[in-house]
Amino acid sequence: MSDARILDRGYRAYTGPRLGVRGAVRSLIVHSIQRALGLKRPVWQKILPAIAIFIAYVPAIVFVGLSVLLPDTLLREASGVLPTYAQYYGFISAAIVVFTAFVAPELLCTDRRTGMLGLYLASPLTRDTYLAAKAVATVALLALVTLGPPLLMLLGLTIVGSGPDGPIALLGLLAKMVLGGLAVAVLPASLSLAVSSITSRRAAASAAIIMILLASRAVSEALGATASTPLYFGLDLLQLPIELVFRIYGEFSEIDGARTITTGTLVAAYLVWTFGFGLLTWLRYRRLTVTR
Amino acid sequence: MTVLLPPPPPPPPPPVPADARIVVERVSKWFGDLVAVSDVSFTVGPGVTALLGPNGAGKSTMLRLLCGLTPPSQGTVAVFGGNPRDDLSLTRRIGLVPQQETLFENLSALGFVRLAAVLHGLDDPEGAARSALAVVELDPDEPRPIAGFSKGMRQRAKVAQALVHDPDVVVLDEPLTGLDPRQRLHLITLFEQLGAAGKTVLVSSHVLDEVERFGRRVLVMAQGRLAAEGDFHAIRDLMDDRPHRVRIRSDRARELATGLLERGVVVGVRLGDGDDVIVDAVDAARLRREVPVVAAELGARLYEVAPLDDDLESVFRYLVGG
Amino acid sequence: MTVAALAPTRLPIYRLLLRSQVSRARVLALLAIGIVGIVVGFAIGAGDRIDELRAGARFINTFGLSLLVPVTALVFSAAALGDPSEDGTLVYLWLRPVRRSRIVIAAAASSFTVAWPLVVIPLAVAAWATGGGSALVTATVVASTLALVAYTGIFCALGLRVKRSLVWGLLYIFIWEGFVATANDTAGRLAVRTYSRSVLTEIADVTLRFSAISSPYRWIVPPLVAVVALAYATRRLRRQDVA
Repeated sequence: MSDARILDRGYRAYTGPRLGVRGAVRSLIVHSIQRALGLKRPVWQKILPAIAIFIAYVPAIVFVGLSVLLPDTLLREASGVLPTYAQYYGFISAAIVVFTAFVAPELLCTDRRTGMLGLYLASPLTRDTYLAAKAVATVALLALVTLGPPLLMLLGLTIVGSGPDGPIALLGLLAKMVLGGLAVAVLPASLSLAVSSITSRRAAASAAIIMILLASRAVSEALGATASTPLYFGLDLLQLPIELVFRIYGEFSEIDGARTITTGTLVAAYLVWTFGFGLLTWLRYRRLTVTR
Repeated sequence: MTVLLPPPPPPPPPPVPADARIVVERVSKWFGDLVAVSDVSFTVGPGVTALLGPNGAGKSTMLRLLCGLTPPSQGTVAVFGGNPRDDLSLTRRIGLVPQQETLFENLSALGFVRLAAVLHGLDDPEGAARSALAVVELDPDEPRPIAGFSKGMRQRAKVAQALVHDPDVVVLDEPLTGLDPRQRLHLITLFEQLGAAGKTVLVSSHVLDEVERFGRRVLVMAQGRLAAEGDFHAIRDLMDDRPHRVRIRSDRARELATGLLERGVVVGVRLGDGDDVIVDAVDAARLRREVPVVAAELGARLYEVAPLDDDLESVFRYLVGG
Repeated sequence: MTVAALAPTRLPIYRLLLRSQVSRARVLALLAIGIVGIVVGFAIGAGDRIDELRAGARFINTFGLSLLVPVTALVFSAAALGDPSEDGTLVYLWLRPVRRSRIVIAAAASSFTVAWPLVVIPLAVAAWATGGGSALVTATVVASTLALVAYTGIFCALGLRVKRSLVWGLLYIFIWEGFVATANDTAGRLAVRTYSRSVLTEIADVTLRFSAISSPYRWIVPPLVAVVALAYATRRLRRQDVA
């Protein structure tokens, strides 16, 4: 009997399990997050995400450190030393803008520019499932800076004994935290996806997102100086989700006129913008000609 | 105790010919840790010279060094005795066809070539541009902008802008890419004409059978180093570690091969099916002398004596392929 | 004379770069922002205000000098030499007997040409619409022009120096000028918008935060910044690795 063996026949058909649409969506989400954070990529691709994460998490670490170092009596007397969870977002708005403007366009623009979109759509993914995966990835990325830091602060404060009293209060706070974190993540994510669906150049998308965010703030501030209606508040895409977070925590921001705006109005404005941007993205991709 | 001897000094570069227009002396170029060109020396005079090498050999980097587009990390590059990097006046004497495809997409072919003519300070930029386009068989009145051009049209537009100011040195990086066979033939003829007119034409190409047609002088690069330079037939003759392979067709081919073996003219014989044999000979010149002698002694008729690896592709493969 | 000036052989580099920077998408997007500014200007003017001049000046400062002017300058100036450098077409300008300073100046001039009407005209109309008076309109035109000069120089140099110049420019506008340089008056001297804001307040005779740059520095520094930046760009172009 010969002892000859064939070790490599070259191409063979795949006979393993096929994970289907769910597997494709899951893979796309994971890969998109990795790509946006610069994971498994050269060092310089990690700089911008690192800057944003640094800006987002450092205040939380500082505040936890303060609560450890300062005596309880001083903490009680100087109630403004530590911000509330809602007020925290004022410290990290720069991080939110950086992630929205610089990290999220990576998810949509690059696929169109490189032609990868065609390959994705040749898999079990459809345009809708592709967009859904990208939307989940974008929100997850933004949640890294909108949900992570308050959770870290909560963890730190709980460990040092300054957290909520009892499990019921803790669960309630956690629920508000998750809702608030998602609120601050979803609208910017929706804006970012909409702008990224219009241009395949990442830098142009970043510029447009920053322009829109800052222009909305400038317009809102200019109109709000003596506005008799609270309509102006709905125009500020940066402040609108943060104001909503304050309402989730049962508070009001310090902005003039914020108390005159009902929570229902805020929610309505929020939903209009979010779904409006989402619809724009969906329509753009529906009509997109994908060539390989 | 082991004493390491110092490495032998590198051989001195050959003397610079009087008509050399491009002189490259001990040039190296690195980008960070990547050494693109390593200790290369050569000269180029009038006529057509082909720069050959596999992908990543350093050809494009070498051409950029010659045009001053990037400075050498070590060594010197001189064109007409001047440094192409610093001497702006040398740009009037150099024409470059770069490898990358992107052009000024909004311009027409005429606009693109006329721009080059204007920037070169020509008296009649419009006329010069039209002439240059006619040389490469592009319609100067083509209304489409370059963005709508095919690959071949873009390539020809690039050649036109390199020639519009009648330079003395023409450097072309893969100029035949994207051209159909007729257009290639036309450009090759153009290179021959430019070389015959006394211009220095330096062409890098992968299309070896066509390179063979427009010039015998080659510079072969591999892994950033210069592997060989000169007439490629002469290079082939220098390769005494690679026997020359020749096919001989005769009515008495086998006896002929036996006779050549006995005389030590050939070192190997492969028998064909019919009236041919393929012999390997170290000394091609001796083989050429001895074959008719042996044939005469045997009374054999010779139908064909054809070298099988005397072409550029074989030379290139031997030098670069290992 | 006019026909000769328009001939394709006059100012060839300026014309080439001007054409390459003007794309429909860029112009429409920036025009849209400018129109938003005009609309808001009218809204401000229609409101009941005690101090229209101050409200108008604040709006011109936050919307115009801090946003529209720098971003518009960035979009065009970074592309002027940055795009040819990245796509390899710079070789068709570089390998010519043309002084490098001429290329850089042509790039800056072309960027300024296309950016100025997209920025200054909408802002001037917005300033007029706020009801702040002719002083505010004049201040807006002068301050935004001065700022545009400085930003054009800076971003032309940036486009040549770094690869993702649009991103780095946005970081400069947003993080450096928007946050770092607002820490105090001293830090404010390191931002172009502080000087343009100071010019705005001087001509309009209004007070705004971080506008404490005294005359003549508020007039001299922005063009000086542009000259230094363009000189650096020229030096950089001479030493550039091309194609």
